[in-house]
Amino acid sequence: MTRLLLPGMEGRVLGERGGLRVVELYIGAQHPASGHMRLIVYLDGDMIVRVDPDIGYVHRTVEKLAETREYVRVISLVERMTIIDACNVTLPYVEAVERLLGVEAPPRARYLRTILCEINRVSSHLYGLGLGGIFLNHSTMYMWAFGDREVFVHLASLLTGSRLTHTYPVFGGVRRDLPQSFRDEFEKAKRYMLRRLREYDKVFFNNPVIRGRLEGVGVLPREKAVALGATGPNLRASGVRYDARMTGYAAYRDLGFEPVVGREGDALERVWVRLREIEASLELVERALRELPDGPFIDERYTRAVPPAVRHWLEKGRLKLPGGYVRLKTRPGEALGRGEMGRGEITYYLVSDGGMKPYRLRVVTPSARNVVLFDALARGHTLMDLPAVYGSIDYFPPEADR
Amino acid sequence: MAGSAGGDRHRSRPGLVRAHLEAIATAARRLLEPPMTMPIPDYGDARVPGYRGVVLFDYDKCIGCSLCAQICPARAIKMYRVPGDKRLRPGYNVGRCIFCGLCTDICPTDALSESIVHDRVYDDVPSMDMDPVDWAVWSRRVLEEERKPGRPLLRARVDPERGLVYERVDAEGGPVAEEKGEER
Ligand code: SF4
Ligand code: SF4
Repeated sequence: MTRLLLPGMEGRVLGERGGLRVVELYIGAQHPASGHMRLIVYLDGDMIVRVDPDIGYVHRTVEKLAETREYVRVISLVERMTIIDACNVTLPYVEAVERLLGVEAPPRARYLRTILCEINRVSSHLYGLGLGGIFLNHSTMYMWAFGDREVFVHLASLLTGSRLTHTYPVFGGVRRDLPQSFRDEFEKAKRYMLRRLREYDKVFFNNPVIRGRLEGVGVLPREKAVALGATGPNLRASGVRYDARMTGYAAYRDLGFEPVVGREGDALERVWVRLREIEASLELVERALRELPDGPFIDERYTRAVPPAVRHWLEKGRLKLPGGYVRLKTRPGEALGRGEMGRGEITYYLVSDGGMKPYRLRVVTPSARNVVLFDALARGHTLMDLPAVYGSIDYFPPEADR
Repeated sequence: MAGSAGGDRHRSRPGLVRAHLEAIATAARRLLEPPMTMPIPDYGDARVPGYRGVVLFDYDKCIGCSLCAQICPARAIKMYRVPGDKRLRPGYNVGRCIFCGLCTDICPTDALSESIVHDRVYDDVPSMDMDPVDWAVWSRRVLEEERKPGRPLLRARVDPERGLVYERVDAEGGPVAEEKGEER
């Protein structure tokens, strides 16, 4: 079989059909546009007949490691699946454990969690848009989205003290109260971002070159989206009105959450849904800030046992934990945690035997569910459409590999 | 709330020539604006208040309860036996630390605190793994550097026109008077 070398890719000729070579092409794992994974693409001439995503390059045994750590230490562990969407990835786990512990976060903490989740969602969508842009050789979109994401990373670090891995929601509440400067900074960031979204429309979304690359590419019909179990903006772009936030966790019920739903299901529609979700998230944060209830940011049960010498931190809006927090025991049983991340729904299934560590923690991440779309959407398109499909489904290998 | 149905993208679609021109004009307009990035290394990052950097240790305030070592998700803190000390004391491997700050949250005294630094340079890998005495000495050095920064500091702030802008601040985070108003 003949080897075939292309820039950044390697392949081999499988045979011939109708005068055209049938080629098996390896894209990745060192290809700049493959992410931490490899795509094995089968081509008939220039037409994709099959795509095998070769995943698992960044598998870190998160589920197994979770069984060896106390509940609170698992928060920072599961965060590492998607550090760019840290609050969204940890919150459903925290809520599942809270259910077994029998605590509930006070209203203020629920609102603060929602605020950080939505800020994370904006950063996550901007990250996806930037990568989607560079996949299409649109360097401007790449630079702009990553530059503007910095504004939201800055907001998150104001709230949590950390740019990416916030470890913000903990059992019974959150780790920091809203800092004084936050409202003002957010208000400016919202004005800035809304203006920028108009510019994105001009430079990227309505750009005829981008339209040419995305419109009608990788169409995912509604029924197929449901049958394949696609999730997140990819599902909503196909016209399915489903979003895990509709279950009303954190403060979403109080805020009257409404999902953004598309119709066409092509690559362009998936980008459109993400752009509009950025607007919706800004709107949600603004409403959450307006309606933010007063009160403690962590459950009394934990603050009561904090030594008097360090209680002053609580008044300053910083969490102090009691010594027993490391050795929290849950009641035996199972709990399910669901939440909507930037890329779709994440599910935690937690089994406890009454000890200090999870007996079993099963995680299904949105990217793990969306990986089927590579094959389903790229078939029948040309090789040049593959980056467009990849960019539009916003797949994140570390999240899928866990 | 943007709960609107999709598909309106087709209606709002501008004509081909106009769309091309708009895209070019929008990108060209940004060319005139200054960059959004922080000019490192000429300037240092003053960080936001409450930033979580490397963890600093005050030996005298520690009561040797080992809670920090128990909660550390990265096992960056280990308890050591120190000659001449009856209690175990924590040592710190900064190479393992993920700057989660949980140890400072659980420390029942104020022995642990967060600095604003996370990007220090170390001579070699073993020097990142510190025993309690090393950690305490090193912490004092980091604190001193924090008070007397080697380069001028900038702090990011959101600007409704330009996204992020940076202003000169002193080590305490106050604005620097003579250059106040000058932004990069
Ligand atoms: S900040 Fe986190 S990782 Fe670092 S020493 Fe403290 S608990 Fe461990
Ligand atoms: S938690 Fe604080 S007091 Fe306890 S051992 Fe660690 S540094 Fe010392």
